[in-house]
Amino acid sequence: MEPLSSYIILSAALLGIGIYGLVSKRNAIRLLFSVELIVNAANINFVAFARYSNPPMLTGWNIVFFSIAAAAMEATVGLALILVAFRLNGTIDVRRLNRLRG
Amino acid sequence: MPDIVFLTLSGLVIVSAIFALEARELIYGAVGLAFSLIGVAGLFILLGAEYLAMFQVSVYVGAVVVLILFTIMLVRRESGRIVEEEEPGRLGRAGILVAGLVALAVAGAVILVVPMSLEAPEFHGIPLRELGRYLASSYAVALVILGILIGATVVGGLTLVKVEREETNSGAAQ
Repeated sequence: MEPLSSYIILSAALLGIGIYGLVSKRNAIRLLFSVELIVNAANINFVAFARYSNPPMLTGWNIVFFSIAAAAMEATVGLALILVAFRLNGTIDVRRLNRLRG
Repeated sequence: MPDIVFLTLSGLVIVSAIFALEARELIYGAVGLAFSLIGVAGLFILLGAEYLAMFQVSVYVGAVVVLILFTIMLVRRESGRIVEEEEPGRLGRAGILVAGLVALAVAGAVILVVPMSLEAPEFHGIPLRELGRYLASSYAVALVILGILIGATVVGGLTLVKVEREETNSGAAQ
């Protein structure tokens, strides 16, 4: 069995990749990818901590259960917004969707 | 001695996550995201949470990634490609810097705080029936709220997309 810290380091790496995408990408769908990666990094942490506590706690797993459902909803609304933005502006480049800027 | 299965799965997760963000075609990026999520499901199995792995594959890979694929096809231009402008180089460098700092900080804190010798306690899994009972008794309110929330989300998404279409039609008629 792996030590707990290897799971957390993996999760930190996934979080880093997600933050890199959020900072440097301009396509709205790629930003959605990054958010999904960050949510998954958090989920790995939840499951690993729940498994390595003594006795194993089911609470962490159930939180991940709800987290996955919430992430699915977030993707649904996000994609609907991206679709609306594409119809209104003809682009999903977030740096050109600046109509609300004063 | 690191476990070979863990190493393979984490390599799959990391490499396909990077591929998802860096692939030139957005469609390939979505497939990379799907592989990354499958790798996370494998990690869940390693940690003994088989039902979470099933849930992860069915919801994330089955629903979210397919939804993303459909959206990518809908926002294509007539030429068949999404116009994606090159990121300016300094933006990419700033992203790598910020992400690297955050990851290093988290990993350093973990190495300092979590003892490497921490062993997982004995665990033989729990039957799904027990789990369902636990979920439906201790988390009944949360489950109901989750159901209402999913319904509201579906209605909201449909409304967003539908209202927009009517506006475009009237706009075209004027």
